[in-house]
Amino acid sequence: MEQDPIERFEAVALPHLDAAYTLARYLMRDDAAAQDVVQEAFLRALKYFDRFRGGDARAWVLAIVRNTSHSWRRRQGDRPVEFDERVHSASVEEHTPEAALLRSADREMVRRALDRLPLELREVIVLREIQGLSYKEIAGVAGIPIGTVMSRLSRARARLEQVLGALAGRE
Amino acid sequence: MRCAEIEQRIGALADGELVEAEARDVEEHLRSCPACRAAHERVLALRTALEQHAPPLAAPDRLRAAVHARLETAASVSRRPVAWRWLAAAATLVAAIGGTWQVATTVSDGRALADQVLASHVRSLMPGHLTDVASTDQHTVKPWFNGRLDYSPAVSDFAGAGFPLIGGRLDYVGGRPVAALVYGRRQHMIDVLLWPTESGTRAGPASLTRQGYHLLHWVGPQYTYWVVSDLATPELRQFSELLQRAEAATYR
Repeated sequence: MEQDPIERFEAVALPHLDAAYTLARYLMRDDAAAQDVVQEAFLRALKYFDRFRGGDARAWVLAIVRNTSHSWRRRQGDRPVEFDERVHSASVEEHTPEAALLRSADREMVRRALDRLPLELREVIVLREIQGLSYKEIAGVAGIPIGTVMSRLSRARARLEQVLGALAGRE
Repeated sequence: MRCAEIEQRIGALADGELVEAEARDVEEHLRSCPACRAAHERVLALRTALEQHAPPLAAPDRLRAAVHARLETAASVSRRPVAWRWLAAAATLVAAIGGTWQVATTVSDGRALADQVLASHVRSLMPGHLTDVASTDQHTVKPWFNGRLDYSPAVSDFAGAGFPLIGGRLDYVGGRPVAALVYGRRQHMIDVLLWPTESGTRAGPASLTRQGYHLLHWVGPQYTYWVVSDLATPELRQFSELLQRAEAATYR
């Protein structure tokens, strides 16, 4: 007897629910929105399950979560990033922090620095450093060439270093 | 290799994305170049900070349950018989409703309303018609109705009691646009249609069963409710009590 398609879908997709929530939470910056995005993403994934031809189920789920997050933000209009004069002033932007200063950053600083990144930079750093995806996998999830993954990671790291350096340097 | 070339590869080295030969070249350069070494150190320090303070997360239980409920609902809807059979059944509802109805409204009003409520529910079970706003968050669903209705429906979530909020939609019943709130109970869907009570009217819960669907109706102090589902009446009453208690809590 053929396995019920919903059961088959659950077996394929549900193991990646934690990863789905992780990506949504960091992209949306808001827990309630992240939960809504994950629910919508799983329903979309179910709808398009016949297009999934086996292979990396985690990457497939994450791609749908990523796209759903982007649609969500477009629909709601991006909330403007809080502007902090001290972080964006010219002298701070020239300053390259030392590694020790970066390591001293606390949770609030790290979260705030991440939240400040533009969405297209935040998603590559989350997929790489938090979720451990390879460049090839990130390219697949975000729908961009590997070269773009590399350059965005480079910009994301530079931006995070500057912001964290400024936040940690204030203490 | 010159620094400008190395700079672009430092991230890739830290990410383990360089082929062995290239990795060796970059590492050799780092040994003799303090500036590039410092850049590499910064990438590693950033990694440490992220690992410590921005870890992978576990999906909250509530989310896990909500995703499960939605998938089970989709499963039960897809397994239902073809929708037209149920629409035909709903059409015979008008003739079937008779003196069993005991509400403050007239019998013909009750008959017409019950007919419309059931048709609304049956229609909602067709693919893509369940909700206009799909969210388990009452703080998302309630404001969604602003500007779409001339009243603001009370929206509560009863996920803790096993009746998670699934979303909401606009419907048209009794000659007016109304709020429909959708709840889940295992694989069942429950529709709650509610609108403001006309002053002076009150009526205790009355129940009706037709074609496998159960309807409950009452007129509360703030809102008038119709609850419809294929869920058995005892559980539907249990759910209705949650609605009544939630209304009483806000009405004080």
